[in-house]
Amino acid sequence: MATKALVLTAEALRRRSFLRQAGTLGAAAAFGSPALEALAAETGRITLPFENGERELVAYPQKRPLILLTARPPQLETPFSVFNESAITPNDAFFVRYHWSGIPTSIDPQTYRLRVGGNVNTPLELSLSDLRQMADATELVAVVQCSGNSRGHFEPRANGGQLSNGAMGNARWTGVPLRKVLEKAGVKAGSVQVAFNGLDTPPLGDGPDFVKALNLDHALDGEVMLAWQMNGADLPMLNGYPLRLIVPGYYGTYWVKHLSDITVTDKVFDGFWMSTAYRIPDNQCACTEPGKAPTKTVPINRMNVRSFITSLANGAHVKSGQQTVVRGIAFDGGYGVNEVAFSADGGKTWQAAQLGKDLGKYSFREWSAAFTPKQKGSHELLVRAVNRIGQGQPASALWNPPGYMRNVVESTRIVAV
Amino acid sequence: MMIRSLLAAGLLTAAPAFALDINLPSETALFKPSTLPGYALVQNNCMLCHSVHYIQSQPPASPRAYWEATVKKMKKPFGATFADADIPDMVDYLVKTYGAERPVATKPAATK
Repeated sequence: MATKALVLTAEALRRRSFLRQAGTLGAAAAFGSPALEALAAETGRITLPFENGERELVAYPQKRPLILLTARPPQLETPFSVFNESAITPNDAFFVRYHWSGIPTSIDPQTYRLRVGGNVNTPLELSLSDLRQMADATELVAVVQCSGNSRGHFEPRANGGQLSNGAMGNARWTGVPLRKVLEKAGVKAGSVQVAFNGLDTPPLGDGPDFVKALNLDHALDGEVMLAWQMNGADLPMLNGYPLRLIVPGYYGTYWVKHLSDITVTDKVFDGFWMSTAYRIPDNQCACTEPGKAPTKTVPINRMNVRSFITSLANGAHVKSGQQTVVRGIAFDGGYGVNEVAFSADGGKTWQAAQLGKDLGKYSFREWSAAFTPKQKGSHELLVRAVNRIGQGQPASALWNPPGYMRNVVESTRIVAV
Repeated sequence: MMIRSLLAAGLLTAAPAFALDINLPSETALFKPSTLPGYALVQNNCMLCHSVHYIQSQPPASPRAYWEATVKKMKKPFGATFADADIPDMVDYLVKTYGAERPVATKPAATK
């Protein structure tokens, strides 16, 4: 059966020659080879705006100091000020999310292989050079966002990774379309899904390996990519070196890192991370009454519309009587944001924001809007976006038990002085 | 010049030549000391697989039912190997140290 072949034990992976893994307590220190170290151990603290939101800022290898959610496995959130630097999120500031502590810490790109198998005519074992020669490299700018980005802001609170708004990033990905690889392997008639596994593993071997699946037509759409670069450089280790699945418009859970196995299946893949985890209420809003469980669920899929002010944080001071240009970003699940509205009076009146350069329908879209605070004191700034199919953002937050897909109209309170 | 163009050609087709090797920063988070019997158990049973951050970052109002369901989830389906007999003490420590049954915080005036 196809799904069985997907289950690789941690032991089997440790035997692979190109790989070294972290994992259970004490496993990391046993190697003497020169390796990239973090620049500094601890470099400060930050308080996220919800109860129990105190976090360390820690620099991991190939990263600037980021918000430490968990150390083992590493989960790092991007400080929100980074999103005001540019529409492209720098690699060294890009967020990190893993599920299991058995993560690769050393990979030899010469001996790394991607296996393509299951319901195909010709199973493949591809080197990175093979992949680079398979087709002309394609580039795509796309946002990847955690399903649980902003979970810490849920009211009532939702358990899980307590993130503020920094578990997202926008990068220019370079790679080949997944379709090229599947065409080379030859997908057999009657195939239903394609499952993706990476080199990360459960630390003890018995937990469900992190494997995700896409429907076959989605996998063959020509946009889903296997990427070896982000923003013109090799992927950082913690973002999936040397190869990552890019699923434009879809939540990050599908963007499998350290991609090692692609398996075409003849039935719906039923692994834990598809059939039990990462499920959303099967209704229009993907929401339930707060505190209530949904009656029916589906796998999380396309991202909803979001927009943020990036140039001013809560509590920022601006000059009264002088014009301030407010800047920010907006994005959606791939239809493209074509309208951003800004309010400087808590939503009483709205003005159209000016949209920045269009980097593609999967990218952050920068926007700006000018306003002049007439009176001193507190002002509530709001931003809301609409995409090309008319999807917008709710004025009050929607809720679901796992704390996914938050996309309420964001509010930023500033003070004119 | 020739070297440069060869390099350029190589960059287009060849994979990077060297292994990427990272060392993760050391882990510093520890469980809060306690006289509850679950304190020793969580140090063995939870920290074998993940850092304490997963626990200490949860919303402080998380009820006993959450901690119990989560500890059980770590066994099945997540594969932790601790004994069923450990579960009640682990849950008790977690909810009383990080969850809804924490002792009421001492008033600031009393601590000054």
